[in-house]
Amino acid sequence: MKRSGPLVTLLAGLLLGLFMLSLNATTGEKTSSSYQGESPAAKSSPTPTAVTPSPSRSPSPSATPIPDADYAGRTSDDSAAVAVTLNDGKAIAYFCDGRAKESWLKGDVEDDGTMRLTGRHGAKLNGTLKEGKRISGTVDIDGGRYAFTADKAKKPSGLYRATATVRGAKVDGGWIVLPDGRQVGVLTRDGESSPAPRIDPETGAVTVDGQQLTARPVTP
Amino acid sequence: MTVDPNAATQNFPSPGPGHRRPHPARYLLPALVAAAVAVALGVYGKVHDPAGTAFNIAGFSSTGAVKSWLATAAILFALVQVASAAMVYGKLPGPRWSSTLHRWSGRAAFLLSVPVAVHCLYAFGYQSYESRVLWHSLLGCFFFGAFSAKMLLLRWERLPGWLLPLVGGLVFTVLAIIWLTSALWFFRTFGVTT
Repeated sequence: MKRSGPLVTLLAGLLLGLFMLSLNATTGEKTSSSYQGESPAAKSSPTPTAVTPSPSRSPSPSATPIPDADYAGRTSDDSAAVAVTLNDGKAIAYFCDGRAKESWLKGDVEDDGTMRLTGRHGAKLNGTLKEGKRISGTVDIDGGRYAFTADKAKKPSGLYRATATVRGAKVDGGWIVLPDGRQVGVLTRDGESSPAPRIDPETGAVTVDGQQLTARPVTP
Repeated sequence: MTVDPNAATQNFPSPGPGHRRPHPARYLLPALVAAAVAVALGVYGKVHDPAGTAFNIAGFSSTGAVKSWLATAAILFALVQVASAAMVYGKLPGPRWSSTLHRWSGRAAFLLSVPVAVHCLYAFGYQSYESRVLWHSLLGCFFFGAFSAKMLLLRWERLPGWLLPLVGGLVFTVLAIIWLTSALWFFRTFGVTT
């Protein structure tokens, strides 16, 4: 008297789910779930995916010996913060003085750990990854040159970004959460930069002009 | 020969001696399984460290877009579910194969929703940082529990007439809210992109 069709359906769903899960577990690091809009530097994920080096994961053709990780630190004159996220041989960096000056930079990481990242308006970052522990180098922005050292960062410190439309204004916020818990962030509303409100580094929640947004960790 | 209009109408043959009133405990199993599924998904989502990333499908700009379109396909099949269920119950005129349509559109909707849920649980986990996300997490877990209960209930043939429509309606409502709090939000926030 018992129908088996529904059970088969359930089992098929279960198997499909397990199959997808194993697919994720083996190849999941290749691409990121991007909930960012059209901004050029934007690829995000809700947690810093690249916190731990993952040499065992998914040897894709483009795989490099550079471990996926986040780095965060300050410029040598202590005027700004720099954070770099490495993922799958690519890097995204954020330079931010917490008031008005900011730049997103992107590029590839060479096998020897050097990187030349470029951003809008001619911004450049030259950096070298040393022993997988820190990245040091220089950022050229708005005619100035800033030397920086960024140490390996553990969640929740790292690089966060939120883009949204709040009351008709395009809002683009970037945050660097430093290993000591300090935050440096700039919020751009329709092209006007200002200091960003604090985010909750655990959840990425931030309130902008009365609206709740979620800043997400950035991956290249 | 005339028919007496007042004659007692014939009853259905009385149930055989082997038939007993269904024991209430039979509903316990689907309910327990439903609770177990929902709680297990929620616990996994909460305990598992969200990976943040997962596979993507070629041709889509982001996993968000992939998920939104899969979920939208699932919701379309779910609408077919409501219509075909009404046909099966005779509330709408429908073809003979409406029960087959109901079965297969349900399977399609369910199987489409699985990869989306796997991605949600694997990449994001159970989150509660804003009410949209909280409801989505909660109902996402609840949906698979309720769906399991519906499937298990279907295995018994004699059920109170109201039970399946109620559970089915619940499953549909929950799926609709899940879609509203995710795919619709995604399309509104990032535009209808592929």
